[in-house]
Amino acid sequence: MNDTNPMLHLEDVYMRYPSRDGTPITILNDIDLKVRQGEFITVVGPSGCGKSTLLRLILGAESPTEGAVLLDGKKLDAPNRNRGIVFQKYSLFPHLSVMDNIVFGLDAEAHGMFLGWLKPGQMRQRRRAFRDQAQVYLERIGLADAADKYPHELSGGMRQRVAIAQSLIMKPRILLMDEPFGALDHATRTEMQLFILEQWEQAEMTIFFVTHDLEEACFLGSRVLVLSQYYQTDAGRGQGAKIVGDFATPGGHPKPTDFLYSEEMSQLVHRIRSEGLSPDNLQHIRDFNLTHRDAFRTVNPEEWQREQ
Amino acid sequence: MSRLSAKSLLRCLMMVCLVLFATATPALAKTKFKVAWSIYVGWMPWPYAEESGILKKWADAHNIEIELVQMDYVASIEAYVAGQVDACVMTNMEMLNMPAASGIDSTALIIGDYSNGNDALLVRDGLTAKTIKGQEISLVELTVSHYLLNRFLEKNNMKEKDVRVINTSDSDIGPIFLSNDSQKAVVTWNPIVMQIEQHPGITKLFSSADVPGEIIDLMAVNTKTLKKNPALGKALVGAWYEVMSVMSRRGADADKALGTMAAQAESSLVEFKSQLKTTAMFYTADAAVQYASGPEIKKNMDYVRQFCFRHGLLGEGAESADVVGIQYPDGSVQGDKRNVNFRFDVSYMKMAAEGKLKR
Amino acid sequence: MKFLSMHAKFGPVTTALLSASLFVLCVAAYFTASHIRHQENPKDKIMPTIGKMWKGVENTAFKEDRKGEYRLWVDTWASAKRLGYSTLLLVLAVLLGLHMGLYPFFEAVFYRFILFFDKVPALALLPILFIIFGLGELSKVMLILLGVFPTIALDTYLRAKAVPREQIIKGRTLGAGSAKITYGVVLPQIMPDVLNTIRLNFKAMVLFLIAGESLAATAGLGYRIFVVRRYIAMEIIIPYVLWMSLLAFVADLLVRLWIKKRYAWYQAH
Repeated sequence: MNDTNPMLHLEDVYMRYPSRDGTPITILNDIDLKVRQGEFITVVGPSGCGKSTLLRLILGAESPTEGAVLLDGKKLDAPNRNRGIVFQKYSLFPHLSVMDNIVFGLDAEAHGMFLGWLKPGQMRQRRRAFRDQAQVYLERIGLADAADKYPHELSGGMRQRVAIAQSLIMKPRILLMDEPFGALDHATRTEMQLFILEQWEQAEMTIFFVTHDLEEACFLGSRVLVLSQYYQTDAGRGQGAKIVGDFATPGGHPKPTDFLYSEEMSQLVHRIRSEGLSPDNLQHIRDFNLTHRDAFRTVNPEEWQREQ
Repeated sequence: MSRLSAKSLLRCLMMVCLVLFATATPALAKTKFKVAWSIYVGWMPWPYAEESGILKKWADAHNIEIELVQMDYVASIEAYVAGQVDACVMTNMEMLNMPAASGIDSTALIIGDYSNGNDALLVRDGLTAKTIKGQEISLVELTVSHYLLNRFLEKNNMKEKDVRVINTSDSDIGPIFLSNDSQKAVVTWNPIVMQIEQHPGITKLFSSADVPGEIIDLMAVNTKTLKKNPALGKALVGAWYEVMSVMSRRGADADKALGTMAAQAESSLVEFKSQLKTTAMFYTADAAVQYASGPEIKKNMDYVRQFCFRHGLLGEGAESADVVGIQYPDGSVQGDKRNVNFRFDVSYMKMAAEGKLKR
Repeated sequence: MKFLSMHAKFGPVTTALLSASLFVLCVAAYFTASHIRHQENPKDKIMPTIGKMWKGVENTAFKEDRKGEYRLWVDTWASAKRLGYSTLLLVLAVLLGLHMGLYPFFEAVFYRFILFFDKVPALALLPILFIIFGLGELSKVMLILLGVFPTIALDTYLRAKAVPREQIIKGRTLGAGSAKITYGVVLPQIMPDVLNTIRLNFKAMVLFLIAGESLAATAGLGYRIFVVRRYIAMEIIIPYVLWMSLLAFVADLLVRLWIKKRYAWYQAH
């Protein structure tokens, strides 16, 4: 984590949708963000704040109404193999076995659709190499025995592990996760949290992790982003979500499990809740907790008339 | 709770079925009759008789009610065979192979006309009897068209195997033939014959005028019903010949009648008249009686029944054309005497000829 | 009245008996009626007895007719070929629906047209079809196709649309191109549903087949039914109808078994 150039860069990003009566509704309001390689970023915020929209922008599945989203200095247009994704649901292809799900990306990249018909011998050879590679990942996620099973035969936790392995095998620049553990029971969830931290450490990758669970965000993230539409400016009540908090989690990373039950943790969670998640407490933009070393923002003078 | 025994259950079932099929059982003395007709030049006098009130007048005179029902041709004969109607117009060929072969004893009450060119084999590209071998021929299989083709082949020393028959629905046979130049030959009936003939390059190779008197259009009545209800026979015959006299009178009255008929056949008066030219109508009861009583009809019926037999129309198990007995006015029977199901009965027409029918 | 309650439980034998009851009732009603008709007229052709029907089967299936053909088999083969070609051509409907569901261009060009086309009663266009495609096999295949093509295409379209967006995005993030996503992600997922739709449309296909064969043909199950109608040969028509139902049922069963075997994952979905 020594490079000075951030790999992901968002500046002055606005996202607006037309509402039913035609007037645009602002979802994201002037988002500025820099992300370095190797960070584990968790994103929290009240429901409807646009966490998933932000994730889709980085994925390239949507383009911002204004502003730029750059990965390695290049503007994003469509989802590609540089960004992996794990959704809460529908991450796995139901018609493929676990093995085929994991091999899918390698296969797709190596021969497109029709090589198998043209050069079957070459195809078989490559296939074998891919399967060996996939086997390594299967062992890493502890599902070596489940290679021939289909997704519907797996538990929710197992499915998410496969989905993670399926993305990791492509070695993406950044792994996006949209509430990946949201549908799991508590025990499995804790287990999966440890699992993803392990993978993060091993693969030295960058993770952008959206969740609505504050404890999960504070425990997993090396950096927490709080996105919220509950704030005020000099021009009045805020329209659309801004990053109201951007800070490094205290202590080293990854954290010991004890951290989940520590006093520090509960204070942090309490602070995020009151500053970002409460519609009754509208923080002024000058009070935002943007303490992370990469945090930056461009300011609109109407919103913040600095005292002379 | 009482239990139904198997026996009573069966009885119940039988009752239900009886009720269901009682309506289909003819031959009881009654005063209301249903007569089915379909559109064809030789049968258009029927709807005219109804519209002009002639039919009602004759029915009233005999204290009965007659309801005319218009149907598709095949459906109307099926309804007749099933006993849903008491009488129905049809050709001698269908009368033989549909009701008579199904054991429905039927009487040809009125001999209305015979086709004298209404059915024809039409060809394009100057095809002749010599060059027709191996060609595809569109027609409605097992109809008088098929019969006509057989007669044509016979006369030219060919067999049905020498051509390829394509069964084509009568509703579309005209447009299909006209729009497909690859179709060289078609056998059909009027008014389709007329429509096709008008197009250039089409010639008539053979028609029912070459086999006059073989394709006869009749009013068939269930024999049992007729025996129990002679009034039905009298009313139908009386009404028919009254219409005939109007038609044959010539002049404004006849034209008005013909106009009504043409309209009901959905054609123009000119077209209708030209179709009448290829229809040998028996305008008088006398002429019909004479034809039915002559020797020629037996020879013609023999052609028809042999054709029906060859094509399995008398039943798959029939051993010869003799399975169905055909009775003629002189009392003679062609075929099985114990199975007479086709009767030419001229007694009612005779009454009309002699003016003995009360009006 | 316990047996009518929602919680009624029946053993396998009782269930089988209950299931058979309506069949038995229908058959019994038919033969009773046939018997009554035959007492009145031993030559009745409208409701033939079982003996007559067997004769009809024998005559059509095991004996050469006057042309030296075993009619039932000739007809079955002719009809099966027509249905077979149409089914093969339905692949195009599936492909069209798939592309309409995934590519806005295809959707814009075809969707409304197919939607409208689907509402056009194909049977009414029959004469036009015969004029355009002639009297041969092509026109019959086209009729069947026109009858069910839009339905299959629209169904495929809706199913392709219903595949979660996430799946397509996931495919993209794994480096899959459009072709791989279309034929490697979406198509195999909707295939069982599409096969089910095709299966449920067998009946419509058979109806269109019969309609086509009634219009112009020299062989075929529908053709035979219409031709023998000219002499009320119900002893042939009834076995033919039963035979067609049986064939359709078997085809349906085969597709169901195929889905079960080939798309094991689908069942649990």
